[in-house]
Amino acid sequence: MSEKDFQAHEIRDQIHIDYKYTLGGQSKFFIDLKNDKKLQGTRCKKCGKVWMPPRIACSECFEDTEWIELPHTGEIMVSTIVWYTTSDFIQKVPYAVAFIKLDNADTGMLQGVFSENLVPSKIRKGQKVKAVFKKEGERKGKMTDFFFVPENEYENWISKPEYEGGE
Amino acid sequence: MAIIGVGITPFKARYMNRTYFELAYDATKLALNDANENGASISHKDLETTVYGIYNELFERQFMPDIFINSYIGMNNKPGTRIASGGATGGYTVRMAYSEVASGLSDLCLCLGVEKCNDCYDEKTGTTTPEVLNAIAYSADMTYEYPMGMMAASSYVSMVNAHSEEFGNPTEKQMAMVSVKNHGNAMKNPKAQSPMEISVDDVLYSRIICYPFKMLDCCLYSEASAALILASEEKVKELGIEQPIWITGVGAANTDCFIGNREDLGRLYSNINAAKSAYKMAGLDYDNIKEQIDVAELHDAFSGQEVISYEELGFVKFGEGGPWIEQGYKNSGEGPWFEGELPCNPSGGLIGCGHAVGATGIMSTGEAALQLRENAGEHQVPIEKGRAISHSIGGPGAAYAAVIVMENEEGISNK
Ligand SMILES: [Zn+2]
Repeated sequence: MSEKDFQAHEIRDQIHIDYKYTLGGQSKFFIDLKNDKKLQGTRCKKCGKVWMPPRIACSECFEDTEWIELPHTGEIMVSTIVWYTTSDFIQKVPYAVAFIKLDNADTGMLQGVFSENLVPSKIRKGQKVKAVFKKEGERKGKMTDFFFVPENEYENWISKPEYEGGE
Repeated sequence: MAIIGVGITPFKARYMNRTYFELAYDATKLALNDANENGASISHKDLETTVYGIYNELFERQFMPDIFINSYIGMNNKPGTRIASGGATGGYTVRMAYSEVASGLSDLCLCLGVEKCNDCYDEKTGTTTPEVLNAIAYSADMTYEYPMGMMAASSYVSMVNAHSEEFGNPTEKQMAMVSVKNHGNAMKNPKAQSPMEISVDDVLYSRIICYPFKMLDCCLYSEASAALILASEEKVKELGIEQPIWITGVGAANTDCFIGNREDLGRLYSNINAAKSAYKMAGLDYDNIKEQIDVAELHDAFSGQEVISYEELGFVKFGEGGPWIEQGYKNSGEGPWFEGELPCNPSGGLIGCGHAVGATGIMSTGEAALQLRENAGEHQVPIEKGRAISHSIGGPGAAYAAVIVMENEEGISNK
């Protein structure tokens, strides 16, 4: 077919699906986060590995795990600061994301790191961080109910009207 | 078995005159033409089975897009299966096509990848990219990671930043050198989307995406299709193929998609395992691989990841990837540069060619095959050993990896 005089026809469209999905065996993590600002990991009954995010079975031993409440403090394993991103988040740049290993956990979870000093030298490996939560009523039992801040900014963040400390 | 035909459409930001299945048809026709120039005399009716590499239903705005291609390319009433493994879709599709022929299920198999991302459109910014990135971000864990604003670049940058913390490299300058190399190589590739003659400073002062990746450290998303025709040894003889490119090694592995579960954040054991098993199958030595191959087409979705891949694929020791690209920047004849000791991405790679996800690894494999036929065009590199590799990675945390080893007749007899 000739490409000359080609004219394309475009149609505007969306794909939209609503969900009400179950968290299955991990439900306790989200319920305790929402109600009590607890960070519940799981510990393998056989090897003792502490999973965070939690798993109700240990993927290494194929054995059951048990719930274990973890402290709200931890350390950045690796991080970045995002300046350009997806359509859902582009209004929020810059923001920092980091893999954070909670004290006593063996695996790291992805979370946002909020800071008054959003620079690579402050948000980096080894930085001690502490969890800050949305106020009761604002928490929905989702990962966005909390975030981390550098330890030395903790008091400052929990004094803001929209947030509170957990412990 | 051998690759007997290669078809690659130009990688472009946008094909206004093609749907994804029309693009898939174009690459199939190109691959058939190439096979026929390579001694065969076949049509689409001779193809016995198809393996489709298509990453993202949201790009194509169609679930099960493979069956619509199957209809369009005249493959009704024959077997066809689809592979979707993120950025590694292409490499994994070659692996499955290899299995189709190696198992004896098929003697003539079409390996076909396509992607058309830029139908996604962000109404708020009036541009495509944020919505393309959103369609990709749904590949992250939807409960724990997507809500944090995780995306492809922030996932890859985690590996690179962890590597830099451990070894002090790649530095931002060394990463920029990968960008200079691959954009520069693309100048010689007429199918490339982003040919550019640029400097290290041009990269360093381009727009920040996520620290320390800048705009020019990142590949662009493309629309394109790529196809290979694979034939069994018997079929190669029967058809009288002049330059069969034998697939002698196929390796794949998936590392943990949750980066926080990994013991070493600064490397992908998937790459290491995929490379080791592919080399072993081909009878090559991981510790001396650089001396055993002529060229490598790598998965440089982001400049820093190419540097780490030099190490994971065994070209240099861990921690020496950054210095290796820098050596070649200073001294022609060294490093992964076009004139270097092991040219990496003479096609321009993803940074130079663009990234049409499902098609990319098939393009890389096809490019390596054309190099071994000394038929790559202006970006042909010297072929002495008769061996090449292609490499694909992708998915959440770049968890998927595939490595393919190819050899021409000399490569096989050199062993
Ligand atoms: Zn265990």
